[in-house]
Amino acid sequence: MNPQVFFGRVRRNATPHAILSALLILCLLYLVVVPLAVMVRETFVVHPMERFQIPGTMPGDFTLSHWKKMFTGSSAVSFLYKPLLNTLIMSACMSILAILIGGLLAWLVVRTDIPCKKFISNLAIVPYIMPSWTMSLAWITLFKNPRIGGSVGLFQYLTGVTLPDWFSYGMLPIVITMAVHYFPFGFMLISSALQNVDSQLEESAELLGASRPYVLRKVVFPLVMPAVLSTVLLTFSRGLGTFGTPSFLGGPVRLYVLSTMLHANLVGQRPGIAYVVALLMILMGGLVLYMDSKLLGARKSYVTISGKSGKSGLVSLGRAMWPVTVLVMVFLVCVTFIPFGLLAIDSLTLIPGDYSLSKMTLHYWIGPPDISIGLRAGEAGILRNPEILRALGNSLRLGVLTALVCGVLGMLIGYTVVRMRGTKFAGILDQLSFMPYLMPSIAFGSALLALFAVGRGPIPSLYGTLTLLVIACSVKYLPYSSRAGVSAMMQIGPELEEAATMAGASWLKRMTRVIVPLQKSSFFSGLLLPFISAMRELSLVVLLVSPGTQLATSVTLKFTDKGWYPYTNAVMVLIVIAVLFTTWISRKLLGTDLAKGIGG
Amino acid sequence: MKRTLWLSVSILMTVTLLMSLSVAGLAQTSENWNDILKAASKEGKVVVYSTTSRITEAAKGFEKEFGIKVDSHLLSETELIERVYREARAGIKSADLVLIEDFPSMKELLIAPGYLVNYIPPCAMKDVPADMRNPLVFAHVSRIIGYNSEKYKTAPFESIWDLTTPQWKGKVMIRDVALTGEHQNAFTELIRRSDELAANYESHFGKKLQLREANAGLEFMRRLAENDVIIMTSDTRIAEAVGKKGQADPPVGFFYVYSKHRDAEAKNLAISAAVDLKPFAGYYYNIYLQLASKPPHPNAAKALAEYLMTPAGFTPWSSDIGIYASNTAVKHHPQDKPWDWWESRLWTYNADFAIRNRAIALDTWIRSTSK
Repeated sequence: MNPQVFFGRVRRNATPHAILSALLILCLLYLVVVPLAVMVRETFVVHPMERFQIPGTMPGDFTLSHWKKMFTGSSAVSFLYKPLLNTLIMSACMSILAILIGGLLAWLVVRTDIPCKKFISNLAIVPYIMPSWTMSLAWITLFKNPRIGGSVGLFQYLTGVTLPDWFSYGMLPIVITMAVHYFPFGFMLISSALQNVDSQLEESAELLGASRPYVLRKVVFPLVMPAVLSTVLLTFSRGLGTFGTPSFLGGPVRLYVLSTMLHANLVGQRPGIAYVVALLMILMGGLVLYMDSKLLGARKSYVTISGKSGKSGLVSLGRAMWPVTVLVMVFLVCVTFIPFGLLAIDSLTLIPGDYSLSKMTLHYWIGPPDISIGLRAGEAGILRNPEILRALGNSLRLGVLTALVCGVLGMLIGYTVVRMRGTKFAGILDQLSFMPYLMPSIAFGSALLALFAVGRGPIPSLYGTLTLLVIACSVKYLPYSSRAGVSAMMQIGPELEEAATMAGASWLKRMTRVIVPLQKSSFFSGLLLPFISAMRELSLVVLLVSPGTQLATSVTLKFTDKGWYPYTNAVMVLIVIAVLFTTWISRKLLGTDLAKGIGG
Repeated sequence: MKRTLWLSVSILMTVTLLMSLSVAGLAQTSENWNDILKAASKEGKVVVYSTTSRITEAAKGFEKEFGIKVDSHLLSETELIERVYREARAGIKSADLVLIEDFPSMKELLIAPGYLVNYIPPCAMKDVPADMRNPLVFAHVSRIIGYNSEKYKTAPFESIWDLTTPQWKGKVMIRDVALTGEHQNAFTELIRRSDELAANYESHFGKKLQLREANAGLEFMRRLAENDVIIMTSDTRIAEAVGKKGQADPPVGFFYVYSKHRDAEAKNLAISAAVDLKPFAGYYYNIYLQLASKPPHPNAAKALAEYLMTPAGFTPWSSDIGIYASNTAVKHHPQDKPWDWWESRLWTYNADFAIRNRAIALDTWIRSTSK
């Protein structure tokens, strides 16, 4: 082939979409696939502290012993099989419970005449915004039994009944608190799916003589089912990588899941075994991705967005309306105000567990560093503690930067994936941008650390920089915004862009004058979730922060470690307030909607 | 031929030895302390990573006296090691000085590759016993076994084996061994001194110890774990749980830092250490003072090292019980016992043995505890 023909062909094919997708794929390959390869390598290498367990080796030598130990060794049952089983049970129960709560609420809000819909929808998102272990902390405060000592929980204090261990700790509370944290997920996805069901479809069915249950079964369920299953899978995969809650509630009864096993081995300086666990978790995540993409493929075939008819389809709750409303309200208050209130009150107690009014103090907020008061911590109150203020500033910067990077990339990915739909490129890009979602946060963090700890070629070592944190968070949360981007772009017909092309507009002009204006609300919605997630992230960043780049969440770890909960809780209260405030402001000013960020 | 080889090897070794000795001596003695202080003032700043929170207070004293700003970072023991290791490998110069624990990890991960170097400041040369100078011990920390002193007037157990009996099932609290390097080290000592443990079992119960594990140390770990041990996240919470007043059936705290007893009065806790427990009343570990091998502020680092080792610099620590200076000029806390008294009751660990056996101890622990 002569060069002229070749370049001609390249030029013809080098549409903006193609160039973009090639670039994005390259970046993602480096940030997603390379860390994976690094992790695989780590499982075959002797690490410094492991060299004495593997006789006759030096650090860096090749070894198969990590894999042998995890699958065949005498301790394989307790290192791998039991935690694996626990993880599966936990994730499965949690995601099913979350979807039941979320789905029911979504149905109530979208399809019935329940009052205060707006209020319910707003409140139902709050549990997801709060750090997930807020719920476990609240559970402990309420249902603590004497096993872990200290003051008894509020329940026992009031009723005098000592709760059994299985209720206070372990699988049951882990499942419940995680379901409470993740149900907003299901609520948002299912309500948007329900909203997208054209009520004309139902009306036509009814006109043809179908009964209501029949319509539900034959029309509504099939349309919503992909969204429901997809949500179950997404929630399930989140369960796999969650560290905080199982460690907090499982610890007292020694319940291990894969994430806590991974953490124990990583901090126990046994990265070889740890990465075997991590790879297993990623493999499970990959299976979920595969199943989800099958479902998504099915979902794509429905075209459901068209003109909407009125609210004629609302189900009347009738006499059940008030009891149901009260029940929903009580539930929502229990999962929002109460945990938040417990944290806030706890940050005011001079001695934790002593809730008498005379012992309330602002010491942990504005007190001087004094080793003779309260916990005798010798730490300044958080609002005058330079270290904590710097960490809060870092968190805000990280949140904003991550949101911007995610938002822009997400829209570009959405654009290329949709415009090139059906090509291999689009498929690869779609899958690649979704992969980080399935990597357990803590494992992904450690893989990025391994990748960026030393300079590689033109890429310098990024350890100790905020850039590294921004990269980690952006890649990890990209799925949120790329999903939002894909679903938003799907709603824009190519005609609009084609018309602009006919009128002679360049690609840049088409983007800035046609696509972006149409996508404004989706774009900002795609920013919100990465921002929130970055603000309250812990598992992902815990290994990546350095003294100069401490974040609000990581800086609290040392307080938690020492049992100085009032400081931790005060910082948590600040984070929650900051996040809620941002959500509210952006909704007022920019019309953002969190649900779009999850990509329903 | 063989003889000449021997001879040359021994000469070589002697020369190397002498050289290293003289170099070490040179490095330490040829220092002009005034020059160092001058250079330190010019540097104006020093960065310290520490596992003990009292560093912030000591830093203030240092800033006041020398006008050099101290940037102190509190880190957990594993975090500190991880951080120094990562930073050194990435070529990042951040810390000048570290107050660090977990000797085996420090030795393998940080000293062996040359990321940390030992430095003996003048006052340590004078007042720290020679066997604690390399690596330089900053202080000893005691971890004990404690009980609720409101419920029990004296310790309700005599042998540590009592804690593996049904009477204490679901009642013994310990900080997560998997996350506490020093616990792993301490348990290796139980393996190393298995004979003493087995002998204590036999004399206490009047029968031979039946082993299901390879030795008495691991057997103890397993029995303790299987006796429904309660794994806690922090020593503070253990002390609070054990010492809370008005409990009908209070738990026992295993291997928590004795310094938690300092808060007993302020927190209204009734808590005592079982100091006559056999064969050990707990263990101690050392906090080491080390310099980064490429410190950004080398002179200020030395000045701070010297300050921390002096009785004045150690005040934030010596004002409380449970932590003991390696510097013999530092007086022990009036309400505490002298270090010799503790040292005779507590076990510690052999670093080389700990490095080789830590993984075995941790494996046994996880295997016996996981549900």
